[in-house]
Amino acid sequence: MNKLIEYLRGPFVLIVLIVFARYVFPSKMTFLVEITTFSIYIIANDILYGYMGMVSFGQPFYLGVGAYTAAIYLAHVGHDPLVAIVLAILMGLVTGAILGPAYIRLRGDYFALINAASCGLGLFLVEKTFLAFTRGDDGLWYRSRMHATPLLDLRRPDEFFWFAMIVLFLVLVWYTWLNRSTLGASFRAIKVNESKMKFLGYNTFVIRWTGFTLNCVLAALAGAMFAVNYGFVNPSITAPDRAAEVLVATLLGGPGSIYGPFFGTVAFIGLRDVVSAFVSRWELAMGILTIIVCFKFRGGVWGTIQILGNKLKGLKGKSSAQSA
Amino acid sequence: MTAMSENKRVLQVKDLNVSYQKLRVLFDASIEISAGEVVVVVGRNGAGKTTLFRTVSGFLKQDKGTILFKGEDIGALPPYEVALKGLKYIQQDKHVFADLTVRENLELGSYATKDYDWDRVLEHFPKLKTLMDRKGGNLSGGERQMLLMAQSLLGRPDLVLMDEPTEGLAPHVIDDLKVAFKKIRGQTTLMIIEQNLPLTAEVADRVYAMKEGKIVAEIVDKQEIKDLKFEKYL
Repeated sequence: MNKLIEYLRGPFVLIVLIVFARYVFPSKMTFLVEITTFSIYIIANDILYGYMGMVSFGQPFYLGVGAYTAAIYLAHVGHDPLVAIVLAILMGLVTGAILGPAYIRLRGDYFALINAASCGLGLFLVEKTFLAFTRGDDGLWYRSRMHATPLLDLRRPDEFFWFAMIVLFLVLVWYTWLNRSTLGASFRAIKVNESKMKFLGYNTFVIRWTGFTLNCVLAALAGAMFAVNYGFVNPSITAPDRAAEVLVATLLGGPGSIYGPFFGTVAFIGLRDVVSAFVSRWELAMGILTIIVCFKFRGGVWGTIQILGNKLKGLKGKSSAQSA
Repeated sequence: MTAMSENKRVLQVKDLNVSYQKLRVLFDASIEISAGEVVVVVGRNGAGKTTLFRTVSGFLKQDKGTILFKGEDIGALPPYEVALKGLKYIQQDKHVFADLTVRENLELGSYATKDYDWDRVLEHFPKLKTLMDRKGGNLSGGERQMLLMAQSLLGRPDLVLMDEPTEGLAPHVIDDLKVAFKKIRGQTTLMIIEQNLPLTAEVADRVYAMKEGKIVAEIVDKQEIKDLKFEKYL
């Protein structure tokens, strides 16, 4: 019971803070939904990069798999956004299961680059090969085809907000569990010393395949949520040049931590929105910030918050000891 | 080779030949180990000791020869299957999982083997009980070696291979490990690569000397081992 409360407490506090922000800044609801969805996308990348140390330049491809699965279903087949999201998750699972055995045999640069190649391939598929389904560069529009869903009408932005909160809460609870589970420890152990894991009796191929597939599933879920929220998808979602932003947001937040992806997303999207209001090339500010994080704050935003928190606790402990 | 009854043999390596690409590094190496023994492999750097261990544990594949573990040919198995069959290998580098705590390191050892009897293992390394929440990266060399040994004993392996466990450790830590070796030998069979000759003389039941990829001597006489007769092969 205590363990369950431990898993629920952190995610619950975070969701309460987002909901609080929604009512304090009602005009920022779109921003809050965007960071919620983007956080799930960054969590996907964090499993690969933060936990397993595998850099992928192909995350937009996996995001696109989910987005286009949901979009094609809603534009050509059905009308239920929930079914679209479930189909996208399944497609993420299938993608990870099929590509995983081939991709995870590659290490380092080769793994990063084969994923980048997937992005290029994905872009070509949605722009040219499946033009009849995707409508190429024009994109797919289907908002008017979406039917209302029970309990929460996902077509309405204010109700989609609550849906996004529920999904983020569930993903964060699961991520908290992963962080403390043997599977999470296996991911981190593989990053440090894969040979030793083999000597302990672990089939590291299966572990890395599992991590890769979880990444695909979560990225596809995020993609489907983008697709349902905007009612529109175009090929730019799978563009290879967007691969860096996932890595930057993961770094900014603090790789391999439960709340790093969320705070990385807030820093990334927040900075982008703030800076782009004044300067058109907001990437310059992001580049400078990333360099600072790489050199001075390896733990990212969340790591720095934790360090400050620990220092504060230490100060409190000292002052209470002195007063005693 | 000394005669050993078939059923007591834990490991039989016969005519093992191993190459790194075209460079052959092991030549017809043959060894036998009985249950409960402490076998020490000695030899200069480059003699092929680590290659022998890495091949037996499944990390390298032999060109020729057989590796029988408890009578079963394990020569073609991947390292994780060899480990699950009860043959553990502790590498020379003393790398524990630095980002994980001692508890998490042990949990990884337990989960793979489904052996959660930590009391049995930690009775040999009581110091680890006080370090459970410390990260592996913050342990001393001796503490890391203890953690690695504790981790490898989970799952009740029949044979543990240790590659230079005392290398770089302070004399008092080596004394602690010596005590641990003596206690552990009642639970499993040990095969150790060791350069520390006094330690070898004290713990070994059998010594294999290696030179230039070949087993050049096998010493089983306790007195000869105590008198460091194998030193001439180094």
